[in-house]
Formats: sequence, C-alpha cells, structure tokens
Amino acid sequence: MTEQFRVLVADDDPMLRMALSEVIAAEADLHVVATAADAQEAADLAERHTPDVALIDVRMPGGGGTHATREIRTRSPRTRLLAFSAYDDSGAAEELKRLGVKEFLVKGITNAEIVAAVRRAGADAEG
Amino acid sequence: MRPDDGYRLLVQGVLDYAIFMLDPDGHITSWNAGAQQIKGYREEEILGKHFSVFYPPEDIAAGKPWHELDQAIRHGRVEDEGWRIRKDGTRFWADVVITALRDETGELRGFGKVTRDTTDRRAAEEALRASEERFRLLVQGVRDHAIFMLDPDGHITSWNTGAQQIKGYREEEILGKHFSVFYPPENADLPKKELVRASRDGRLETEGWRIRKDGTRFWANIVITAMYDDTGTLCGFGKVTRDMTERRAAEQALSERRRLLGHLVEAQELERRRIAWDVHDDSIQAMVAVGMRLQLLAGRLPAEQQELAAQLDEAVRASVGRLRGLVANLRPTTIDQHGLVPSLAGYLRDVVRPWGLETSLSAELPNEPPMPVAITLFRICQEALTNVHKHARATRVDVTLAGKDGGTLVRVSDDGVGLPDPAPDDPYRHFGLLEMRERAEIAGGWWSVTSTPGGGTTIQFWLPTAPTQEEE
Repeated sequence: MTEQFRVLVADDDPMLRMALSEVIAAEADLHVVATAADAQEAADLAERHTPDVALIDVRMPGGGGTHATREIRTRSPRTRLLAFSAYDDSGAAEELKRLGVKEFLVKGITNAEIVAAVRRAGADAEG
Repeated sequence: MRPDDGYRLLVQGVLDYAIFMLDPDGHITSWNAGAQQIKGYREEEILGKHFSVFYPPEDIAAGKPWHELDQAIRHGRVEDEGWRIRKDGTRFWADVVITALRDETGELRGFGKVTRDTTDRRAAEEALRASEERFRLLVQGVRDHAIFMLDPDGHITSWNTGAQQIKGYREEEILGKHFSVFYPPENADLPKKELVRASRDGRLETEGWRIRKDGTRFWANIVITAMYDDTGTLCGFGKVTRDMTERRAAEQALSERRRLLGHLVEAQELERRRIAWDVHDDSIQAMVAVGMRLQLLAGRLPAEQQELAAQLDEAVRASVGRLRGLVANLRPTTIDQHGLVPSLAGYLRDVVRPWGLETSLSAELPNEPPMPVAITLFRICQEALTNVHKHARATRVDVTLAGKDGGTLVRVSDDGVGLPDPAPDDPYRHFGLLEMRERAEIAGGWWSVTSTPGGGTTIQFWLPTAPTQEEE
C-alpha cells in the first residue's frame, strides 16, 4: 500500500465541503485531516496539521482563496495548494498561480479528476 | 473749336438729362439728345412749342408750368419733382430744375431746364418703402416673439403684438418705460450690464427669468442687438425675446426621463448581478455537490444500476452547464471598461461562437452611446442572440451597428428557420420578443422583427443617443 496523503479541504459551502471530503476520504491513499469554512480557519488548520495538500475554494469569507494561500505558504510551507473554483474566476486564477497554487480546478469536473489532481500535488509534496 | 462749341456739343450729347432752353414765355428754343430720349419729341417738332405740353392736364389746370416759371424768376431757380407726359402720352416721374437766365443787365432772357427721368429710382424707393412697411407689419404682427426697440439708454421705443402677448403690457403703457421693468429684483444690475455687453460685442444672447406685467415669471431667451447709424453712433438696441417656459419644462422632463432610464438600467443590472451571484453561489454549488455525491454513490452500486447513476450524473452536469450559461448572460457587461463594440465582440467570441454559430460584427458608430443606452443596446443584442441560439436553428448570425438619426440602429440577422407566424405554441419566445421591444421603447426607441419561414429572422432596433419623450 502506498503512503497516505494528508489533505485539508476549505470551502464555505457546507454541501460542497462535505461532498469534497467524502470524495477524498473514499480513496484509500487519501486522508482528510481537517475541513475549514473560511480562509482564516484554513490557515490555522494548515499550520496545526501541516497537510500534504490543501484544497482551497477561491471565493471564501475571511479574505478568500488568495488570503488563505498567502497564509498557508508562510505557515505551512510544505503544503501543496490546489484552488477549487467556479469557471469564471479567471482573474483570480492568475493571481493564485503567481502565489504558488499548483493547479486550478473548475467546479464540476469529475471526482476522478479531483482525486488525480490531489495525488499529483501530494506526490510533489513528498518529492 | 471755340469753348462755346464744346459746351454745346456736351449738352447736345448728354443722354441721361433733358437739357433745353425756354424763352421768357416758356416756348422751347433748344433741345438735346437726352430730351429726345426722355420725352420722345424730335427737335424739329418741339422747337417753338410751349413747355406746358410736358405737364399732365391736372397740373395745367392748376397753372403749374406758369407758376414754376414765376418761382424761377423770383428765386433764380426752382426745383420740382412730379409726373410729366411723354410724346406718346405715357407718364414718367421727373426731377426738374428750371433756372432763370438773365443777361449782364439783369434782363430775363429765358430759362434753362434740366429734366431727369427718375421713374426707376422712384419705383425703387417706393418698393423699399413698401418693403419696409411690410416688414414693419410683419414685426408688428409676430405673436411668438416679443420684438421691440430700445433707445441707447434702454427706454422702450417700439412694441409689437408678441411683446404684448408675452409680457402683458399694451404699447401705450410701455413706450418710454425703461426695459429693466422686465427683470426680476434679484437681477437688478443685469439690464445695464446687458446693454454694455451688447454695445461692446454688437450682440448678446442670454436666457433667464423675466417678469410679466401681472408679476408672473417666464423663462426667456433674449437677443439684444446694438444698432448704429451711418456715422457709427449707437442709436439704440433691437431686442427679441421668446418665452421658453414650455420648452424649458419639456427639457426638464426629458432630462428627468434620462435620469429615470439611467436608474432603471442601473437597477436592472444590479438585479441581474444579484441573481447571477445567487445562482452561482447557491444553485450551481449545490448541483456540483450533488454530482460529486452521485459519482460516489455510483461507485458503490451494483453494476446493473451504475448506468442509471451515470445518466443522473450526466443530467446534473448538463444542468450545471445551463446554469453557467444563465450566469454568463446575467453577468455585468464589460461596457464600462471596454466600450460597447468590444464588449459585443467579446460576447460573440466567448458565448455565441461556442454555440456553433458563425458570427460577424460590423459597427460604424460616430460616438460611444451614453452608458444606460449602451447597456440597453447590449442587452437587447444579447436577448436577440440567445433567441437565435434557442430557436432559429441557424448556422450564422450577423450583427451590424450604425449611427442613424441621432441614435444607434442595430440589426441582428440569422439564416435560420424563421419565426412561426404566429407563435402561440411557444410563449417563452413571445416573452423574449416582448422584453426586447419593451427595453427599446423604454429607452425612447423602436424595435421590429421581420421573418420569412426558412429565410431567417432579422431583428432591428433603434435607440436615441438621448432618450426622447415617449409618444402616446
């Protein structure tokens, strides 16, 4: 069995947060260590758990994905970041990539695609 | 040649003046070419005749020819204007000078008579007088404009019907008064200033409140023109005043309407934005979450039920796609950043072409329309293009924008199946058409649709650059 990747899920929408957590938890090699409902909570939990991967909603209370990204970059540098967003946030996508977000996932992609992206980011954190 | 010969030849040759001599009794003793020209007699037939033959019967009856000779004798010369008779009986208006001729001893030897035919000049003067009189009557009769004159100090020297109509004073009560009576108390210094400016610049145009005789106010447009005589001395002012109260009210109604349209468009855009965010943040998120759970569920189902779950997931995905389309349509336009035409071009490129439609856009706009108008133009285009996508089964759509009649004319043409006529089976379509038309009419414009079955549909609409009053 491969090593487990530890994942933080941050989304202000409770339904999406739960669905995302379930999708990731359903995979044997992925483990959800924490879920956050806003940017501040995401940064705090990232510092506490130092996850391999953080899946960050672009539009969130408490400063949005950009704030969460900046905070996590400094407080948990080994965490790899994935942004999860509505498709029309292309302006935010540019900025997040500049801040070090690995991939930009559009809401509505298949579970398989989400899982694959999390694994790619986790492998990057390992190496 | 003796000097006398020179004079004789000169006199003989002059054509514009009849120059001839009379003996002391008034019989003609010499004649020249001008006399023949003007009066029609040849020298040989007129010499020796009495000069009274040139006078009309009423003058002869009054003794005028003899009276004129008397006057010439008494004063040395006499000047007269009046009708004279040609040989052929026709009359001409003559300017006549008769000079008494005396020898060195002072004895009367006869008279020199110089006559000029001034019929044409008199006619011109008459015409001028008549024209001036007609003009005076015209000015007098004008009802919509107060037209009157001021002396150099500002006292009223003439008055017309329009002045009475607009200001309420009769001519006899206002003549001689100072024109400052028309000004409201808060502008007491204005009359003087206006005359100073008019005499400095020659002319002054201004607008402002003025007072009628009954104390009510009206909004006036005023032109004051300084008038100078031949020597360049200021001899007064012409003043033309129009009552613009109604026009001013209409203009205010128009600007109020403009403001309302601005508010309406702004409110609509705000509402659309709110709905867009609601759909985006709530409905789409929920559907996405449902889709993710469906996929999870499918993984746990027995193989024979997985097909059904996959179909449900596909339905959810399609639904998310449609909601995103809705959000894209509701999203704020980029007109404020990029302008109307680039925003339309962007919409055609990003939204319409992905529908599988060929597009073209041609725009010749002299100016960017004001923001509420531009947004309305854009929204109607968007509605028209959405209709093409949903109903026309077209392969291409062409959009043209052109400046026309102080507004913007837009045409959206497709090569689709055309509208069914009528379309009772499709209330949504009808609704879409109605909405476009209402948008255009609220903005003070018009909207029309022409369609032939199988021959495509063309939607045309025109919005004024500044919205005009709705015609009931």
